[in-house]
Amino acid sequence: MKVLTPSALHAWLNALARDRLLIAPKEEAGVLLYRRVGNADEIAFTGKDPQRPVTPIKQAFFPPTERLLLIERLPADEPGGARRIRLSESLPEGEQILFGVRPCDARGVRVLDAAFLEKEPADPYYQRRREGSTLIGLACPEMGPTCFCKSVGGGPDDASDVDLMLFETENGFAVQPVTEKGRALLEGAELTETEGEPPRSALTDPIPVPDRLAWPPHFQDSFWEQMAERCLSCRLCAYICPTCRCFDVRDEALPAEDGRELYERIRCWDSCAGEPYRRIAGGHNPRAGKGQRLRNRFFCKFHYFPEQYGHQACTGCGRCIDLCPVNIDITEVLSHLVVG
Amino acid sequence: MSHTASIQAKARELLETGAVACVIGYEIGPRGRARPVFVESPEGASRLVWNQACTHNLAAYLPARLRPGKKGEPARPVGVVVKACDSRAINVLLAENQFAREQVHVIGVVCPGILEGAGQRSIPDEASPGEGPLQARCLRCAERTPVVSDTLIGEPFAAPPATLEEDPLDRLSGLGAEERLAYWLEQFDRCLRCYACRQACPMCNCPTCLFERDDSTWLGMGIGLSEKRAFHLGRAYHLAGRCVGCNECERACPMNIPISHLNRMLAREIETAFGYRAGLAPVPGPLVTVLDRGEGRP
Repeated sequence: MKVLTPSALHAWLNALARDRLLIAPKEEAGVLLYRRVGNADEIAFTGKDPQRPVTPIKQAFFPPTERLLLIERLPADEPGGARRIRLSESLPEGEQILFGVRPCDARGVRVLDAAFLEKEPADPYYQRRREGSTLIGLACPEMGPTCFCKSVGGGPDDASDVDLMLFETENGFAVQPVTEKGRALLEGAELTETEGEPPRSALTDPIPVPDRLAWPPHFQDSFWEQMAERCLSCRLCAYICPTCRCFDVRDEALPAEDGRELYERIRCWDSCAGEPYRRIAGGHNPRAGKGQRLRNRFFCKFHYFPEQYGHQACTGCGRCIDLCPVNIDITEVLSHLVVG
Repeated sequence: MSHTASIQAKARELLETGAVACVIGYEIGPRGRARPVFVESPEGASRLVWNQACTHNLAAYLPARLRPGKKGEPARPVGVVVKACDSRAINVLLAENQFAREQVHVIGVVCPGILEGAGQRSIPDEASPGEGPLQARCLRCAERTPVVSDTLIGEPFAAPPATLEEDPLDRLSGLGAEERLAYWLEQFDRCLRCYACRQACPMCNCPTCLFERDDSTWLGMGIGLSEKRAFHLGRAYHLAGRCVGCNECERACPMNIPISHLNRMLAREIETAFGYRAGLAPVPGPLVTVLDRGEGRP
């Protein structure tokens, strides 16, 4: 296997950060986040602890807020006058390298790809960012207490969704290129040929995950209302989820000078847990109850999405389990469906 | 009798006699974490527990639970387990006419303080008290005994607040305006606008939050620094004279934003100016509101 020694890794990352946008786990106020880094020293390598950043890598392709259009009212003296508007799209440009992406986060990108790219028309904003990105994965030596990636088709050393995978070894990081993009990134890296294979990760016991067809009979289950009683209807679980991809679109006024009128069309993250999410014109809300909303969250991940795209929209990262203020636990939901 | 057994016995009695429709308390989930539970039958009372991980402010569930029905009929009373901090929230909610006093049976628990990490990790039960540091808000707490209760569990004691080595609020309020602004913008920058802080707060019970209107009247939908700043500062002002310092907002925040500094700063100002601490005693109306004739109690 080819290995990057700690110093070779440092030099390589520094070189990448010099000419390109490098995003990597970085600690900020005690929180591990994916942030732009200027050099390898800023990166938080979490060592043996398979600690993933609080927010997933999805924000690199699907930012919390994104401008879709700039809308400008034409001045009165232009042909057509003030009754006409000019629309200009603002597509993202540039390349980015995402380092230290855990397999669960990378698998989340597969879900986003399906939703944003698989069916025509592809989402051009997502597509640009996705095509301009190279993912460098980092295998987790072991699974954390709330991780269940292995039970939803992934694994702590699964390299299928990255361009290049790194595995922690005794003398540095074993390197496994997965795509041409990943291979190209290694040009100039100082690789050491070493005996042996990249280490496999330690696994924890799998949890029961119901088949996608097991869900519909539970649609009217009183379980949803009971569990949802303590739900706060915040959006935390969706915003820290590597696969949640709902957004809202709105036109908002921008400050403008010289009597010009400017607006932008933005899209922002949204969450089905929030009360206004499903409200429709006239004020009716088909998911007015917390139980209905929470049910949608889990049906979406394990029934609706698999029906449409053939795979689950949960990567077992365990973030929602760690962070829910009132302990709504996705594994408890799954086990309810399996064992009742 | 342990606090857990006392809470269970009281809840069972209230549910058996039909005095309440539901008891909101704490249970231990499958991962050993304390979490809110809604018990609606006497048999369910055995789920209730008490330990030093019972961090959630259950008063936050009361306004929605006790809202009148579609035809204006009053909701049936509920029982609720509260600590000293949570009990202050009930006084504030009563002053704001969120529900009537007879609609809640308050099961107050004398609280030894809640441990750091409560709610997010497993903590030993009441019989074998967990080791580990108390939450900072508990070290500052001078109450320990709920200020309002119908049933009191535990022997009241008045523990003087522990002397904290340094209050970050002092350091922060000693900084110049520009440094403070820089500090806060750095904190707000991490915000996701997930609203966990607002949703966990017993005082944030507006049917439609000012910062979340569909028409973006006061604040746009963007998850950008300017919106986050307006949200956090706006929310803090709306909590002035109302925040009881339960710090659930800060605990719920996934991004470690020290929201409590804002709330405590305003609470300090209110105490200095008016000698008032929110919810410490029943009051006829909210502090920061002037009611015109006819706008008082319904």
